[in-house]
Amino acid sequence: MEIVLLRGAAGLYLAATVAALMGIASIRRDFPHRLLMWLLGGGLLLHAVSILMRAVLVGHLPVANFGEGLSLLAALLVGLFLAVQLRGPLLALGAVIMPLAFGLTLAASVVKGGAQPLPDVLRSVWLPVHVLLALLGDAAFAIACSASILYLVQERRLKTHRGRGVLHGLPSLERLDSFSHNCLKWGLILLTLGIVSGIVWAHEAEWDSAWMADPKVLFTMLVWTLYVVLLQGRMTAGWRGRWAAQLTIAGFAAIVVSLVGVNLLGIGIHGKAY
Amino acid sequence: MQHRIVLVGLSHHTAPVEVRERVAFSNGHLEPALRGLLALPGVEEGVILSTCNRVEVLACGADAEQVAAGIPPFLSQLHGLGDDLLQTSLYVHHDREAVRHLFRVAASLDSMVVGEPQILGQLKEQYAVAAATGSSGRVLHRCFHKSFSVAKRIRSETGIAEKAVSVGSTAVELARDIFDGFGDKTALLIGAGTMGELCARQLMAQGTGSLMVANRTFERAIDVARELGGMPVPFEKLGRYLPLADLVIGAAAGDDFLVRRAQVEEAMRERRHRPMVLIDVAVPRCIDPSVHALDGVYTYDIDDLEGVIAENRGARATEAVRAEAIVDAEVDAFWRWFESLGVVPTIVALREKLEGIRQVEVERWLTALGPGCDPRQREGVERLTRSIVNKILHAPLTALRSHQSGESETFYVDAARSLFRLHGAPAGDETDDEG
Repeated sequence: MEIVLLRGAAGLYLAATVAALMGIASIRRDFPHRLLMWLLGGGLLLHAVSILMRAVLVGHLPVANFGEGLSLLAALLVGLFLAVQLRGPLLALGAVIMPLAFGLTLAASVVKGGAQPLPDVLRSVWLPVHVLLALLGDAAFAIACSASILYLVQERRLKTHRGRGVLHGLPSLERLDSFSHNCLKWGLILLTLGIVSGIVWAHEAEWDSAWMADPKVLFTMLVWTLYVVLLQGRMTAGWRGRWAAQLTIAGFAAIVVSLVGVNLLGIGIHGKAY
Repeated sequence: MQHRIVLVGLSHHTAPVEVRERVAFSNGHLEPALRGLLALPGVEEGVILSTCNRVEVLACGADAEQVAAGIPPFLSQLHGLGDDLLQTSLYVHHDREAVRHLFRVAASLDSMVVGEPQILGQLKEQYAVAAATGSSGRVLHRCFHKSFSVAKRIRSETGIAEKAVSVGSTAVELARDIFDGFGDKTALLIGAGTMGELCARQLMAQGTGSLMVANRTFERAIDVARELGGMPVPFEKLGRYLPLADLVIGAAAGDDFLVRRAQVEEAMRERRHRPMVLIDVAVPRCIDPSVHALDGVYTYDIDDLEGVIAENRGARATEAVRAEAIVDAEVDAFWRWFESLGVVPTIVALREKLEGIRQVEVERWLTALGPGCDPRQREGVERLTRSIVNKILHAPLTALRSHQSGESETFYVDAARSLFRLHGAPAGDETDDEG
């Protein structure tokens, strides 16, 4: 049943992808956008119910395997995207975010194994705190990355003096740039809190210090440093535009590598679960 | 026979400006002209449209030929022109085609610049004059209100009005791809000639935060700056003001570039690489085109603008096809209503209505009686009720028929429709068109 719901959500995300692309290409802006919001809302609802069912079944936040983790990440991504739209619509981002959400959800519904017990080492109240903060951070970085991708597309079009063509609904460079910047800030705050919660957890659980050499931890520190440097450059050295967009995308690429690499290979403490 | 709608007019498609300007009505002259129009034989309702691109007379009467024949001499006399001058320019549309023409005009599908928004306002004004004069009656009233709602619908459902087709608005449109809004932006106008001033005016109309004006003769810069609410800056010190400008309009032709690459590079550093848009409308160009290669700098010259304008014209044409489909559907809807106004459809509707009532009542009676009703009884009731209905209908139907094609046809049809509440003509049905 959860898998059916999850696939239903994936289907709606795919439809939302099409709607977002229509939104970019269309001259009429109202129709696909309203449609997109409904598809997103519907998809998220199915998705949330699916996660909830699994949570009730296993009795904790369902992150005991890779599929569950992907599913949660996709739901947080869509939720955050919807929340961002309420503050100020920037639906063109959906053209990047929705395929990503679709891919993640589909992958989750394919690899999602049966319910399995949580390893003892992870049984803690810190599990949901740490995981949710870290994943929300990842979602914020994903949205920042999507804005940066659209920035590069729009910038390339403007620099080559091409007409709008099918890219009719792309937002302005300024909007994309400042939006990406804001997402980065929030992402960094969430990621930092996620890291801190992880440290506190490790301290409370009195793990030996081997966790610090965990590949995921090392990779995350690398990503964190990159984003700090980028934000610092933005705020003091006036980094913006193309260079900032490229760095933002690079940062997210590193996150994807750490996600896929560490969790698929199952190394270290993060490899034990999501 | 029922009322007919006739449209006689000329426009930029059929008449040169020398003719149009002689036929155009100025403000005060519209009311007497409308009264004169109503005095023409056979004309029962009339509205005159007059803009710089068209003069059109929309009239309604029983005899279409008579109405159409009366209007050209009426126009010629009114403006003191020879009959043959207008003969080649005038076109005549009847009925559906007349309605379609009005809808197309209102939606700016027939305009010189397709999609321009002014025409609807002009139409509304001149219709208001006709309504106040009392020259527009029930048919034209509905026809015009419908044309307004069609125009609105086309505006919101198609992209016909979205594209810029002037240099100034195109410059703004291009800059919109880079800037989120203009409220916090500063524009620098270099060269305060006619073209430059026009561009700057459109920029300010879009809500640009502030404006600096530089011109070779400083006095002119002061004048234009005062006029547009900007600040004059010295022409020799352009480089110093460049970093402040988010948007530069270059409109001063000269032998050499006025804005050079080194200056822009320096300006970008000072601006901490906030993006900058430079639009060069001068021929020969006054902004070094190589600055476009700099990060965060976007330049457009007059050819780029023309390209966008041409592209937008094309896009408008595509949207116009969608708009025509909407017009078609709306003309059909209007025509269904219009046709229901005649005597024959009214008689049919009246018969149907009473027959419906009769059948319902007979059924009810039969049901109340239960199964104990024999066929002869039933037959008797049918005959009785039918005969009552026919007797009641006799007088009104005779009256309607005798006034068919007469002067008071509309009056009787209206009366019959509202007394018997026949569909298609509820009282005040025009009010749903205009919000």
